[in-house]
Amino acid sequence: MMGSRFQITKLGAWLITSLTVLIALAWVFPLYWGVISSLKPEDEVVRPYIELWPQTLTFDHYYSALTKSLIGLWYINSLATAVGVTVITIFSSMLCGYAISQLNFPGRRYLHILILACFMVPTQTLIINHFVLMANMHLLNTWLGMILPQLIYPVIIIIYKQFFDGVPKEFREAALMDNASEWRIFYRVYMPMNWGITTALAIVVFIWTWNNFLWPFLAATQNETMTVPVGITQVYNAFGVYYARRLAAAVLAALPVVLLYLFFQRQVTQAITLSAGIKG
Amino acid sequence: MSDIKLSNVSKTFGIVSVIDDLTLTVKSGEFLVLLGPSGSGKTTILRMIAGLETIDKGTLEIGGQRCESLPPGQRQVAMVFQNYALYPHMSVSGNMAFGLENIGLGKAEIAARIAAAAKLLEMTSLLERYPAQLSGGQRQRVAIGRAIVKQPKAFLFDEPLSNLDAALRVRTRVELAQLHQRLQSTVVYVTHDQTEAMTLADRVVVLNSRHVEQIGTPMEIYHRPATRFVASFVGSPAMNFIQVKTKLNGKKIGIVAPSGKWITLPNASLGKGDVELGIRPESISIVDRDADATGQVKIIERLGERTLLHVQLDKGPLIIVQDSGLSKLNINSPVKLKFNVSQISLFGPDGKSSLRSAAS
Repeated sequence: MMGSRFQITKLGAWLITSLTVLIALAWVFPLYWGVISSLKPEDEVVRPYIELWPQTLTFDHYYSALTKSLIGLWYINSLATAVGVTVITIFSSMLCGYAISQLNFPGRRYLHILILACFMVPTQTLIINHFVLMANMHLLNTWLGMILPQLIYPVIIIIYKQFFDGVPKEFREAALMDNASEWRIFYRVYMPMNWGITTALAIVVFIWTWNNFLWPFLAATQNETMTVPVGITQVYNAFGVYYARRLAAAVLAALPVVLLYLFFQRQVTQAITLSAGIKG
Repeated sequence: MSDIKLSNVSKTFGIVSVIDDLTLTVKSGEFLVLLGPSGSGKTTILRMIAGLETIDKGTLEIGGQRCESLPPGQRQVAMVFQNYALYPHMSVSGNMAFGLENIGLGKAEIAARIAAAAKLLEMTSLLERYPAQLSGGQRQRVAIGRAIVKQPKAFLFDEPLSNLDAALRVRTRVELAQLHQRLQSTVVYVTHDQTEAMTLADRVVVLNSRHVEQIGTPMEIYHRPATRFVASFVGSPAMNFIQVKTKLNGKKIGIVAPSGKWITLPNASLGKGDVELGIRPESISIVDRDADATGQVKIIERLGERTLLHVQLDKGPLIIVQDSGLSKLNINSPVKLKFNVSQISLFGPDGKSSLRSAAS
C-alpha cells in the first residue's frame, strides 16, 4: 500500500519536473536562438532549416554593431536615464511612503487614495500630455526630458508605505524621545532598516527603465539622444535588414540587464514578488 | 528638582474618554508605580508625561517647567519601552549615543557617558554588539542604559519586565530597585504586575477604568485598600469577601460575623444594612474555640512555606485561609476560623471602604 502510494507520488513528481523542464526549454530557446544567430554569418542565418550550432562562428556583427552604430552613446543615454530615474524614484517614493505611513497631516488619507488611483491610469494615456509638456519646455532630446515623465511608479510608494507600516511604532517614538528631528528619524532610523528592500526595488526600477521603449522612442528624435532599446531598431542599412547584426545589437542591449539579474537574482525575485502582490 | 505634576489632566481618543480630570504629583526622587488592569489608562498617563500623547486638558510640569506643549525630546525624560525599541541597525553604543548626538554633545562627552553607564549596568563587553546578538535580559539593560546616558530628570518605564521569563524578571526587578537606590532619580513605572508594584514602589497609584482608585505606599494599598477594587486587585491570593450585616449594640456599631458573633468596630462609619467584609487569607487563623466563622476544608494547596486552604463556610462563601507550611488539616476537615479584627476591611454598596483603622 505504502509502496504504491510512494510510486504514484514519485511518478507525479517526475511528470511535473518534466513539464517544468519543457516549459523552461520553450522559454529559453528563443534566447538561445537569438544569441546563436548573432554569432552566425548572415547567409547561415537565413538558411531555411534549423542549425543549433553555427558552422562558422563569427563576432563580426558585434564588432559592426559596436563600431558602425552609436551604441556606445546609447549606452550612456540609457545608463544616465535609468540611473536618474532609479535614484529619484526610489528616494522620492521612500519619502512619500514614509510620510503617508508615519506622519500625521491633514489630507493624508486622500493622498494615499490619490496614489492608489494612479494605478488606474495607464502611462500610455498620458503620453501625449507628456510629449506636449516636454516639447513646450524644450526638453525633448535631453536626459531630463527622458527622465521626468518616467518618474511615476506609484507601486514603489505603496510598497514603501506597507514596509513602514510594518515597522513597530516604538522605533519612531524612541527616536522622538531621543530628540531626533523628523529628518533624522527618517534617515538614521527608518532608511537604514530597509536597505534590503531598497536594493531590490532599485534594481527592478533600473531594469524597468532600461527596458522602457515607448517614452524614450518619443522623447528622442535624434540618433544621438536615443537609448539602447530605441537605438537598436535603427541598426539596418540601405540594402535591407541584417538579422544577425540586429540580434547582436539586441544581445548587447539586454546584456546589462542580464548581468544585473545574475548578480542580484535574490533581490530581483523579492522585489517582483513584493510588487506583484500590489500590481495584481 | 525633578518632580512631575499632572493637574486636572483629561484625555480622550475620539469620543472615548481615557483619563478624566487626573491630578497626580510624583515627588523628586520617588519611585511611583502606576498599577492597574489593561485599559485602565496607566500607559496613557505615562505616554502623556513622555509627550507621545497630547494632553487634551490640564497641565503638566516636570521639574517646575510647564511641559504639556513641548515635544517629547525636550521634556528631559527618558523612556524604556516594553519591547525595548532598540534600533536594530545600530550597535549597543550606537543606540546609546543616538540621543546624545541629537542634542549636540561632543564625542568625548558621549563616550564618557556611555562608558559610565556600561560600567554601572555591567555591560561594557556588549558595547559593540548589535541588538539581534543580545538576549532578552541584555536588551533590557541596553534600553535602560540608553535612558541613563541622557541623564534625564525622570525615567519612564512601560512594563519593562513583561517580555522577560519569570526567573530573569525577578532578578531584573531587584537590579532595578538597586539602580534606583543608587541613582535616586524620579521614576514613573507602569505595570499590571502587583508584585513589581509592591516590591519596587515608594508609592503606588492603583488605576481602574480611567480613574485613580487609591494612591498610597505599597503597605497602605495592601492593608488598607480604599475600595473593593483595590482589595481584590492587589494581593495573591486575592482578599476574601463575605457579605455581613451591621448591627447597633447600645451605642456601639459592629458587624455580625458568619458565626453570628458580634464584632465591634468603633471606627467604622457604618449605616444599617449589608456590607462586605474583606479579609486577607493570612489574617484568618485556625482556632479551637471562640470562632468568627466555621467551615469545611475543600481544597488544599501546599506551597512549601505555607499552605492555602479553600474553606467552604457553613454560612457564607468559599474563602481562602493561610495556614503554616506543615498544616495537618485534610480535605473535609471541619475548621473554626478567627478573623484578625485589626486587618478587617469593610466595603459599602458603592465599593468604598467604610473602615480604615483598627477595631477594638
